[in-house]
Amino acid sequence: MEEKQLTEQESLQLIQQMISRAKNNFVDTGIGPILWGAVISFCSIVQFLIIHFQWHLPFDVWILALAAIIPQIFISVRERRERKAKGWDDDIMSYVWLCFGIGVFIVNFLNNVAADAVNPLLNDYREITGKENIPNFWTYGSSYLLFVYGYPTIVTGAARKFKLMTVGGIVCWVSALISAFTITKFDFLLMAVSAALAWLIPGIVLRSNYLKGKNEQHV
Amino acid sequence: MFKDLDPILHSQLRLAVMSLLIGVKEAEFTFIKEKTGSTAGNLSVQISKLKDAGYVDVLKQFKDNYPQTICKITPQGVTAFETYVKALQTYLPK
Repeated sequence: MEEKQLTEQESLQLIQQMISRAKNNFVDTGIGPILWGAVISFCSIVQFLIIHFQWHLPFDVWILALAAIIPQIFISVRERRERKAKGWDDDIMSYVWLCFGIGVFIVNFLNNVAADAVNPLLNDYREITGKENIPNFWTYGSSYLLFVYGYPTIVTGAARKFKLMTVGGIVCWVSALISAFTITKFDFLLMAVSAALAWLIPGIVLRSNYLKGKNEQHV
Repeated sequence: MFKDLDPILHSQLRLAVMSLLIGVKEAEFTFIKEKTGSTAGNLSVQISKLKDAGYVDVLKQFKDNYPQTICKITPQGVTAFETYVKALQTYLPK
């Protein structure tokens, strides 16, 4: 591009062209959503199978979700390093997902505290009344988690104008409502479907768009 | 009535730089060079002119032992860009 005077029409075209080029830079690599979508879906399906077939694993499958934080840190650091421009909403999005991560831990902690307090009472009540179909606290625990899953997903989908992710977030909220009426093992199936629709599938689409854009740049 | 166009902005490369920077919070020199397709020398001169006019802030630092130049549009630059776009609109056929 050379230093030259422009006509008014050329100026407007140039402004549009450059704004569009800057916008195209903010394409997510999709690795983060794929990682979390795959891990949460996998853990949920395994948890469903554990309950359904009464398996006894030597470890808690959800440790995988905890372990996934390590590659996520590497992914975030690498993406930050490779990014040559920072968008206006980048910091906001980072805070949204950081709050989500902390929120998941808080909800899990509160669920465990509530389950420890409520489940013995429900067990006693079940023994006294002889009613076998009294649910335990965990029947509702996953509803809160699904609600938390939906929140940042909808915000990100709406902010980045990525409908597939917004729909995935709405599926999380619908699943949260449904899970209040289903037994625990089916809650985990709902969680698997929600994580796949909210993160895994949108992540695959983002990844494919990212790779396509990268290839076009090198042609 | 036609309004005067800001001579600092009414040049191809400087306008391209400002249009890029208006859409981002900050950008590396290499990003601007890649998106505008300009040479490093010419871009450097034009960014200096924008800096002298108070339209962009330039931050020079080191990243992984390599020099890195970060450019950011200033509030004065945003106002100048908006005024320029409004002035351009007066030239468009209605």
